[in-house]
Amino acid sequence: MSEPLLLAFAVLGLLLGATVLTALLSLSAGLKRFAHLPLVVACGASAVLAMILVGRVQAGGSAPRFVSDPLTWFAAGKLTVNLTLAVDPLAAVMLATVTFVATWIAIFSSGYMRDDHGGPDRGYVRYFAVMSLFVFSMCGLVLANNFLLLVGFWEGVGVCSYLLVGYYYDKPAAAAAARKAFLVTRLGDTGFLLGIFLLWRLGGWHTDLTALFDHIQKHPPDTASLTAACLLVFCGAVGKSAQFPLYVWLPDAMEGPTPVSALIHAATMVTAGVYLVARCAPVFALVPDAQAVVAWAGGITALLAAVIALTQTDLKRVLAYSTVSQLGYMFLALGTLGAISPVFAVTAALFHLFTHAFFKALLFLASGSVMHAMGGVIDMRRFGGLRRVMPVTHLTFLCGAAALAGIPLLSGFWSKDAILEALKLGGESAHPYAGAFHVLLLVGLFTAGLTAFYTFRAYFLTFWGPTRIPEEAGHHAHESPAVMTGPLLVLAVGALAAGAVAGPLTHWFETFVGRTPSLQQAAAVVGMKAPSHAFDWGLAGVSTLLAVGGVGLAAVMYARGRPAKVPAGLEPVVALSRNKLYVDEVYEAALVKPMAGLAVAARVFDLFLDALSRLLASVPRFLGGLVRPVQNGLVQFYALSMALGAAVLVSFVAFRITR
Amino acid sequence: MYLLPTFRILVLLLVALPLVSAAVVPLFGRAARRAALLLALLHAGVTAAVVAGALPALNQRGENVPPGRDFAFQKFTPEFVPGDPGVSDASTSTHRTRWTLLNLGDAPPDRAGPRIQFYIGVDGLNVWLVALCSLMVIPAILVSWEAVADRPGAFYGWLFVLQAGAIGAFLSFDVILFYAFFELTLIPSFFLIGRWGEGPHRRDAARTFFLYTLGGSLLTLVGVVGVVLTNPLPDGRFTFELPELMAAVQRNLGGAFAEFLRTGDGGPLAEKQNLQFWLFLCLIAGFMVKAPVWPFHTWLPAAYREAPIGVTLLLSALLAKLGTFGLLRFVLPLTPDAAVAYGLPVVGVLAGIGIVYGALCAYAARDIKMMVAYSSLSHLGFLVLGILAFNREGLSGATLHMVNHGVSTGALFALLAFLLDRYRTTDMRQYGGLTGRFPRFAFLAFVLCFASIGLPGLNNFVSEMLMMAGLFDARNPGVGGFGYAVVAAVGIFLSAWYVLTMLRRVFFGPVVEPPPAVAGPVHDVNPREVVALGGPVAVCLLLGLVPQVLLNPMKADVAALAEVGDAARDRVAGTAPKFEDGLPAGTITPARKNP
Repeated sequence: MSEPLLLAFAVLGLLLGATVLTALLSLSAGLKRFAHLPLVVACGASAVLAMILVGRVQAGGSAPRFVSDPLTWFAAGKLTVNLTLAVDPLAAVMLATVTFVATWIAIFSSGYMRDDHGGPDRGYVRYFAVMSLFVFSMCGLVLANNFLLLVGFWEGVGVCSYLLVGYYYDKPAAAAAARKAFLVTRLGDTGFLLGIFLLWRLGGWHTDLTALFDHIQKHPPDTASLTAACLLVFCGAVGKSAQFPLYVWLPDAMEGPTPVSALIHAATMVTAGVYLVARCAPVFALVPDAQAVVAWAGGITALLAAVIALTQTDLKRVLAYSTVSQLGYMFLALGTLGAISPVFAVTAALFHLFTHAFFKALLFLASGSVMHAMGGVIDMRRFGGLRRVMPVTHLTFLCGAAALAGIPLLSGFWSKDAILEALKLGGESAHPYAGAFHVLLLVGLFTAGLTAFYTFRAYFLTFWGPTRIPEEAGHHAHESPAVMTGPLLVLAVGALAAGAVAGPLTHWFETFVGRTPSLQQAAAVVGMKAPSHAFDWGLAGVSTLLAVGGVGLAAVMYARGRPAKVPAGLEPVVALSRNKLYVDEVYEAALVKPMAGLAVAARVFDLFLDALSRLLASVPRFLGGLVRPVQNGLVQFYALSMALGAAVLVSFVAFRITR
Repeated sequence: MYLLPTFRILVLLLVALPLVSAAVVPLFGRAARRAALLLALLHAGVTAAVVAGALPALNQRGENVPPGRDFAFQKFTPEFVPGDPGVSDASTSTHRTRWTLLNLGDAPPDRAGPRIQFYIGVDGLNVWLVALCSLMVIPAILVSWEAVADRPGAFYGWLFVLQAGAIGAFLSFDVILFYAFFELTLIPSFFLIGRWGEGPHRRDAARTFFLYTLGGSLLTLVGVVGVVLTNPLPDGRFTFELPELMAAVQRNLGGAFAEFLRTGDGGPLAEKQNLQFWLFLCLIAGFMVKAPVWPFHTWLPAAYREAPIGVTLLLSALLAKLGTFGLLRFVLPLTPDAAVAYGLPVVGVLAGIGIVYGALCAYAARDIKMMVAYSSLSHLGFLVLGILAFNREGLSGATLHMVNHGVSTGALFALLAFLLDRYRTTDMRQYGGLTGRFPRFAFLAFVLCFASIGLPGLNNFVSEMLMMAGLFDARNPGVGGFGYAVVAAVGIFLSAWYVLTMLRRVFFGPVVEPPPAVAGPVHDVNPREVVALGGPVAVCLLLGLVPQVLLNPMKADVAALAEVGDAARDRVAGTAPKFEDGLPAGTITPARKNP
């Protein structure tokens, strides 16, 4: 086995070991307070290994891909499901991002998951066991080279998300959110499964990604079937990555502990859908219709979520909708993969994923730090002016917010710019949906302005104006301990510099990820080379103006730390935004209620059938009652009836014979 | 193999031991439950020995499947048949038996003839189901430990009779013997529900169950006899031996088909296929009731509700599988053309309705026991679809799913025993927040619920994916598109819907509990329950991670059955058999182009 694969297996082994070890700690009361150690150590070691892995892959020739020998999980007939891993630049970058961010979040968690007296929280062991299982599953998802194995890890991260959103199990809101998160993503997964099997059928009965893509490239199936397969696979991505129309679970998922939101619902798991489409680029490259759907889903989501985020008062929810919106950006880029070069489009999406992981994890952890200090209160109407109380949290939050808003030279600026550029080039291409990309470019630019506005609205409401602290905070209202601020500082550096270092300064990210064989394969399918990356000053200028404008508007309206008055005439729009466009209510009325009603109807009908069958059961008793008088005990009667019966029988037989 | 005679005796013991146990257990009086547990463990030991002995033989068969182009002679080959004539030299196996129960005509003993035989054996299709029967009795006994105080000796006695009936039916290779064992399960079920049942309507429920399944299985008997009478052997004799009968059916249909291809006269073939349709309906009737397939499930809610929890466990884990196993073992090989032509379009549609209907009812059920009962209806619909897809993926998946579903659903019922022992109710409105109240119990419950909704890494995922592949690869003439697969996928989603809703009500939120049944503090799982629940949990995990151990031994038998299906598809479509060229020697799959 080659060295990169060994490293990949070592990462998975470490994390699985951490899961098992943490679970075993629950058996001993004395060791419970050390439950964070396995995760922290395993994540840290994995991050180091993943970075070594990136180096090894970089040195791995012109088409670096290392596929492990298949080991059969199950097979029958034409379906063979192998346990295989594949390491290529795409996977290596993703793995490094996931483990790096997870390490700092794990450290942060050990400070965050405390009860009122600073001791470990009641579910400390459970928390870290599930977190370990999550990081393991996520890394497995990144490395899997078989569709059903990928589904395995895919559902694994889903279950961990379910368990962690429902971590505070006695809170009804958390219980409802956990169920909703699982069910909505599962709805997407239903399509995903069907899509996998359709691909299996179209792709020469392969389930290994590499073999499947090779087969499809050599024997392209008819476009209609392939479009259907791609759209079904995309359903899974829509569910997991919280895209329209299945994004509704993500804001509710904020009921979980904040580090969970940072890791799972911002930096890693929700990007799985983006990663999936990036992985399947060789298939998506063949079908323009599916690309257009991806782009539109991304565009609609980006705009919709940004509009909702404008008026939310819960700090974590603002960030949650912002995540939904940013994921929409990534899909916007992916949607252009057939119009411009897939290498460029996927690299742009992945680059945004990479920078987003830093600044969004940072923003969530910082808001977690706020929540920790505020005694669990996260409603921005109830606190304000915290910049003096929590200086480190304030500064790091500012770094994250600026990066998210796309302030020039920070991480978010570079990656967002790449996406907008992809859309611009897509609009200029000969793609059948080139017109749509023009529209989507405008959507992207407008959303960029909104993003800057709502991000800084949240920032000003939380940290500016007179200091206000809710009574729940009690004596907690002070800066968080070093175990929490440390990770914030590290991630802040990432939010400021990661984009510039990996992007324009070195062009490392695009050259490295661009060498991914599957992307090269997709490029060969489309027949396009990556456009030379000339920085587009005009586009960058417009987006900078929008970002600065958004921040300025937010400063004008909210710098006093108080919600501004709504201008007359805009009230309906604001109400629409505040009520999240009534999407939840529409789903409730159109889907949830009718299904429940149907269920009750079916049950009532079945009770009716039950009654019928009880009637059937009484037939013997009834018949018994009917013939009971015949058993009258008179021997003569018996003899007579016997004789009569025999006569009937004999005459019948005689009749049959003589006929 | 010099151990052959030993294994033949062990296979006989698989059926005989529960019967002996049934006779012995009542003698122990108050200690009956302890005796029952020991006897069940002994049986598990015997089963383990048989499985260990059968695996090498079955695996080897799977690796050396003949290319199988000769469709006419695809038949089941049981191993370790007690009374095998080859027993005299103890090294060879003829896969037949000399033990005749009833002779209906004269035939040389070395040839098949009209006699009913005690013909049992192990093959790839039944070996794991027998293991399931053996294993699931242990939790059934453990969960009845406290619950059954009234005449425990008789209770456990009937439980063993039930086990014997199920194992006998799974092992049978004589069609009449199968029928006898199939019916034998009715009597213990009747008494167990009617005598030890928990609800006020238990007698009605028992009676309905009895009449309903008896009615269905009488039709099945008619169908079996019909198949025997219409498919004589080449020498004109009739046979009740399933392998011979299966080959006779193939020969009979294949002959007519060859004639059609030669002369273009489809009359005789059409006539035979018409007849098959009626035989198919008769045969499948009993199995559709037993499985059950919608709308023949109406006995199920009452029976599952009224039965004591240990019996409900066995009803769902073992008896429901008799129905689906009957499809696999009898309906498909004995009426293959009708199964191809009417299987998915008629029975499959009913099964598909059952998937959705069962899921809806499960969601609306207020009682957890009813939820699990209806979920069983939903899952079994998927299982029936997998069988009727009649290809390797579907058949392997369905066979595996019988085991998987048996373990996970049986274990879900065992979970309820925990609540029943403590609070005497499974009404989910009376519970809440059990995660905080009973963390260990909650852990086991979550794992089993996750298994039930088909999460990867646990057992049901594997078999569901195989069946799904089977539905995507269904080449039955007249079955276009992927409608069945979509319904099955919707069923998987709906299972998450109702199970998670139940979990939210019962395990999340503030603690709510009904008044306890016994005075004193209510504790989390005790060691007995850890075994009863933890055992299945471990099995679920194991079957999810290394399913190939179960799939390898069934390869050859699934292949034989799938070849029967392929031949039938050609006959129904009226096209000459086609093969892909360049088939390497020894490949199992003569994969065919779509007709």
